[in-house]
Amino acid sequence: MKIGIPRALLYYQYYPMWKHFFEELGAEVVVSPHTTRVILSSGISRVVADTCLPAKAYMGHVMSLVGKCDCVFIPAIRSLKAKVFNCSKFLGLPDMTRAVVPECPPILSIDVDMNKGEKELWREIDRLGRHFTRNHSKVRQAAMSAWQKHLEYCRLMVEEGLTPPQALERMFGLEAEPEGKGASKEKALPTADASGQAHIAVIGHPYILYDHHVSHRLINWLQQHNIRVHTPEMLAAEAIDSGIGRLVGQSYWTYEYEVVGAGGHYLEHDVDGVIGLVAFGCGPDSLMMDMVRRHSALPGAAAFMNLTLEEHTAEAGIVTRLEAFVDMVRRKKRRKETCA
Amino acid sequence: MEAYLGIDVGSVTTKVAALDVNDELIADFYLPTQGQPIVKVQQGLAEVRRHLPADVEIRGVGTTGSARYLAGTIVGADLIKNEITSHAVAALHYIPDVQTVLEIGGQDSKIIIIRDGVVTDFGMNTVCAAGTGSFLDHQALRLNMGIEDFSHKSLDSETPVRIAGRCTVFAESDMIHKQQVGHRIEDILYGLCQALVRNYLNNIASGKEIRPPIVFQGGVAFNQGIVKAFREELKTDIIIPPHHEVMGAIGAALLAHEEMADHSDSTKFRGFGISDIQYRTSSFECKACPNLCEIAQLATNGKVLARWGGRCDMWERTSAG
Repeated sequence: MKIGIPRALLYYQYYPMWKHFFEELGAEVVVSPHTTRVILSSGISRVVADTCLPAKAYMGHVMSLVGKCDCVFIPAIRSLKAKVFNCSKFLGLPDMTRAVVPECPPILSIDVDMNKGEKELWREIDRLGRHFTRNHSKVRQAAMSAWQKHLEYCRLMVEEGLTPPQALERMFGLEAEPEGKGASKEKALPTADASGQAHIAVIGHPYILYDHHVSHRLINWLQQHNIRVHTPEMLAAEAIDSGIGRLVGQSYWTYEYEVVGAGGHYLEHDVDGVIGLVAFGCGPDSLMMDMVRRHSALPGAAAFMNLTLEEHTAEAGIVTRLEAFVDMVRRKKRRKETCA
Repeated sequence: MEAYLGIDVGSVTTKVAALDVNDELIADFYLPTQGQPIVKVQQGLAEVRRHLPADVEIRGVGTTGSARYLAGTIVGADLIKNEITSHAVAALHYIPDVQTVLEIGGQDSKIIIIRDGVVTDFGMNTVCAAGTGSFLDHQALRLNMGIEDFSHKSLDSETPVRIAGRCTVFAESDMIHKQQVGHRIEDILYGLCQALVRNYLNNIASGKEIRPPIVFQGGVAFNQGIVKAFREELKTDIIIPPHHEVMGAIGAALLAHEEMADHSDSTKFRGFGISDIQYRTSSFECKACPNLCEIAQLATNGKVLARWGGRCDMWERTSAG
């Protein structure tokens, strides 16, 4: 059986785990290609205008998998921790997909809701595994070893400072991006911490940060301009928790750590500036990123800039703001160093 | 005589400024872009040339504004800088102790926070261009008056009406409703100024600490109604620098001077002769991958000078070679 996984939304968080689980159960996994204008516009053409950009991209990815797999894996992640809630687009992802992409192959799903406890989670995993085998212990083994894969993935990012795409490349080899024919690879990146090199953290959901099309290659742009880029995945759980604790006390949203947790940490540690990336119309982010922005006004906090992404295809607006932010961070850093 | 040029090609207006070696403004020109950035850069350069002494020698050129890369390629810029940095540098040049810069242009509005001579924070309008110069122009046009009349008339307001300034679409329908129930045009105009200022302070300037001295620059600083509304809302004086409409160009010239002082290279400026060259722009959709990038190219005499717009560097490389 061939299982399609859309390269969008939670792909960047859980791909190694999902892939491993299905392969352990004898299935084959195919991933949709990197987001392109064609994928995004096909998604946009299906969903109502008010839906957020990442969800539109997701539908485009599902559509690109039609005819390439026997079924598509679309989990419904409701809650990962008791009393911590997820955005409605994740809750209803399988249903939403069924509604807007009727030609979608059969959907394999799993309901993850930790409000119902761990027992229920195992029941859900069993239910998912039953599509492949009747052997319970085989499913449990696959799930346990998939979890190990997930931890390995996280470790690569935390311990070696890799971004998710870099960690995926390390684990599964290079997944070529649809570059223009003959386009050269990205310029060699300075890895050494050259003195005076500015450090900037980019915070936000992985499906915004690492989707080159949605983010207009923002991280690459920074790296090419000799900036050492830090991302939320590079932080250990303690740093994230203390960031959340400082900014909001207790988290309410499931994917709050990559915004509020990372923001809380980076505003006070490791970097000269923080860039928050949000998709226009994201409800949770309008609250979460604002918490970070408010905190950035406190004395001693790193410089902060919020960038909002939409369907605009021109990059000029983003580049202007990035150039200005980098200029500012560099001038401030130089000033600090000459004073010291 | 030696001079440095700064060119600011904005979405609505194009500005050219020339500074002498002491960074004194010796010539400037301000003209509407009217959707033709290349022609306007050529015209602006020709105009400025007329006001410069015959023996002028350009030692450095900087470009800024949303068409800075296009303009930079045409004139041969030594430095291409974003508008925030250019405006901050120019404001600091005239008012060294400035702490806040308000800038409203045709499509962009910005706030720049400066402490001890360094930019420490800035804000810029997000995805939409509500409340910028082009909206004021549009309203003046709709009311069949020049933007200058708009400015003067709004000062005659006695009881300004309240206009929703959150979004220009709402603002316009609000203005029309008020006009249809008989409010005076002066009161509607000043009401609009207040709405835009409120919107600016609540959005772009939200969470920023606005400390005096405050400098207001950009084309919209011509508008007396907006200036008055800012003074009232902030309850403090606001400095309008003498050349507020060309501050971006002045900043680019200052930065070009700084750049050329750091490096002893000679300027890349192609000379004032470029005003007479025919440039041709065209665009095509690249089919090399599913991204279908829109590539724009600039050519003269059948020779491609530059290409932009690709997500990869495929076309940029072709143009360099």
